[in-house]
Amino acid sequence: MEEKIIAIAGNPNTGKTTIFNALTGARQKVGNWPGVTVEKKEGYYIYKGIKFNVIDLPGTYTLTGESEDQKIAIDFLVENKVDVLLLIADASNLERSLFLLVLLSELHKNIIIDLNMIDLAEKEGIDYDIEHLEKLFKVKFIKTIGNKNIGIEELKEEIYKKCKEVPSETFKFNYGEEVENIISEIESEINKLNLNYPSRFLAIKILEKDEIFINFLRDKISYEKISEKIINFEKTLKKPVDMLLIEKRYGIIHGIVREATIEKKKELKIELTEKIDKILTHNFAGPLIFLFIMFLIFNGVFLLGEPFKNFIDLLLEKLKNLISNSNFSPYLISLLNEGIISGVGSVISFVPNIFLFFFFFSILEDTGYMSRAAIVSDRVMHKLGLHGKSAIPLILGFGCNVPAIMGTRILENKRDKILTSLSIPFMSCSARLPVYILFTGIFFSKNQGLIIFSLYLLGIIVSFLTIKIFNSFVFKQESVPLIIELPPFRTPYWKSVLLESWTRTKYFLKKAGTLIFLGSLILWLLSYFPNPENYGSEFNYIGRIGKIISPLFKYSGFNFWQAGVALIFGIYAKELVVSTFGTLFGVENLSESLKIYFNPISSYSFMIMSLLYMPCLATFLILRKEIGGKWAIISLFWTFFTGWLISTFFYQVFTFLTGG
Amino acid sequence: MERLSDVKEGKYRILEILKPGKCKKLSNLGIFTGDIIEVIKPGPGPIIIKKGNITIGIGCGIAMDVIVEKAE
Repeated sequence: MEEKIIAIAGNPNTGKTTIFNALTGARQKVGNWPGVTVEKKEGYYIYKGIKFNVIDLPGTYTLTGESEDQKIAIDFLVENKVDVLLLIADASNLERSLFLLVLLSELHKNIIIDLNMIDLAEKEGIDYDIEHLEKLFKVKFIKTIGNKNIGIEELKEEIYKKCKEVPSETFKFNYGEEVENIISEIESEINKLNLNYPSRFLAIKILEKDEIFINFLRDKISYEKISEKIINFEKTLKKPVDMLLIEKRYGIIHGIVREATIEKKKELKIELTEKIDKILTHNFAGPLIFLFIMFLIFNGVFLLGEPFKNFIDLLLEKLKNLISNSNFSPYLISLLNEGIISGVGSVISFVPNIFLFFFFFSILEDTGYMSRAAIVSDRVMHKLGLHGKSAIPLILGFGCNVPAIMGTRILENKRDKILTSLSIPFMSCSARLPVYILFTGIFFSKNQGLIIFSLYLLGIIVSFLTIKIFNSFVFKQESVPLIIELPPFRTPYWKSVLLESWTRTKYFLKKAGTLIFLGSLILWLLSYFPNPENYGSEFNYIGRIGKIISPLFKYSGFNFWQAGVALIFGIYAKELVVSTFGTLFGVENLSESLKIYFNPISSYSFMIMSLLYMPCLATFLILRKEIGGKWAIISLFWTFFTGWLISTFFYQVFTFLTGG
Repeated sequence: MERLSDVKEGKYRILEILKPGKCKKLSNLGIFTGDIIEVIKPGPGPIIIKKGNITIGIGCGIAMDVIVEKAE
């Protein structure tokens, strides 16, 4: 079957995802662009016997090599044979999309503009003289309402036609004689080289002083001569040439849009959004509303997910029983039950929560609340070196660190993603609660609530300190200034929300599930051998490792091998800390046995360690997927180190103070 | 003349954007010197401004470098 590549570009909040979903339906998958953590969405549809592979490029306002996602868009358009570039424009805010069109037209010739959300523009009393726009920009404009599937067939037909025709006369933005002369001079230098990039595009990038492209070309062209010319030109301009280019683009586009706009009688004023914004972003009410929404999501993810999670757990339990009662060899039964089902099952039972997490977040994104949330939490996060959006995955970390780390995909900047992901493991997830309940029930029964609260608070403090420390000593960057567009409030498009949630959940299942399978297998081998009859005991490798690591906790107050084994199993899943003690000491005698090994101070010290070291294998593996192996290993050591340091410090100080 | 970070709700004309990098970020979103903007949510904290159909949230770090005057 003949195949074509369609790239979708556009500003954020123009309904790019809705159009992508309308074109591809459920035939889509998410992943990462090679070597980076920017989310990549691809899908396909078949029309008139041709398979159209659709790639959703990262949303952007401009095209500079300095930003990771913009560089991806540039490189994808240059290095892949993209047959049609579909630019999604918000019909009620056309100027900015046309600004991007001017930039993209330097890079690609076969462009179609999708004038999306035309219904909202009409409600605002805006319509356009499409013929006039098509004549000026030499591209086809198609009106769509993505969330109602209106105009999608026409769009498919236009893409089909565009694929069949040879690019004819194309749009070229005229920057004026002086600028065009310099562009031509640089272009003639570049033309001598045999490069993938269009020479005019590179010439403009050089003129704009785009560092990435300057470094790319510095040794290939006589850059010093060109640079001197640009500096002299700027002296006559009395302003940076990149600013001049932006002004020229917007200036001309503004004129064109004014000419092509047909103002109609307004049916609805957008002032409602303004009024809601005043409440949602209010300095006092805004944070309270934000926390309330987070509270609802937090509860929604875990309360609504609980029955499904329990149902999956029940199914897995039944499966385990079935295997236990089968005629399989003990070796195979243990491998299947303790190894694969316990390991992979812990991931599968997360699925309802993860789906709900993405479901609620897609709603927040679709309604436009996400940008408001970033504004509201910016004041606190700014002090730490991040901006507001990072607060959302951090708070979700209280529920489960795995979807919270996946939630860092809402952050555009790589540094923000790494810093936020490194701090999430310290947010006390629900899996750690059984450890607190067990120990506080035995050692702090009168102040159980207060002690558990103190652990949650400690997690937040360490999380914030981690951001501060890594930002100050590793990234050494000032906080990224917040500039964020606030789209008008919209009703979510449910089909799109469900599709988004499912596609992302599928990605989690596929990637984390595969890795968890391997991890589970390794832990099972360590627990099973060399004495299969004593699974997870001191006679097996896991027990031996427990014995090796237990001296590390001599000064933390729990240097016995059972604690070491419990902590190792805790890497598998934190809930297993409790069940490991149960297995090693016997469930009936658990309280009495723990009282022999622990005292109140060492039990709190153990809870600190359980709170702070790597939450679980799934968290580690998802960190590896999202921010890379290097940072996942750094996180592994960092969480272990802080856990050890703080638990030891606590134990030593309180033992000294109480004379214990 | 006031900094955008210090103004109250109302309409203002942008007189100057002090740092070139910040100026470029705002320009890419269609905000230029000379524009008339409406402040919907003033400081402290991020400022929300409106120009035509566009509503933008600006961190106070950037707002401090935007010099404005009251527009009639």
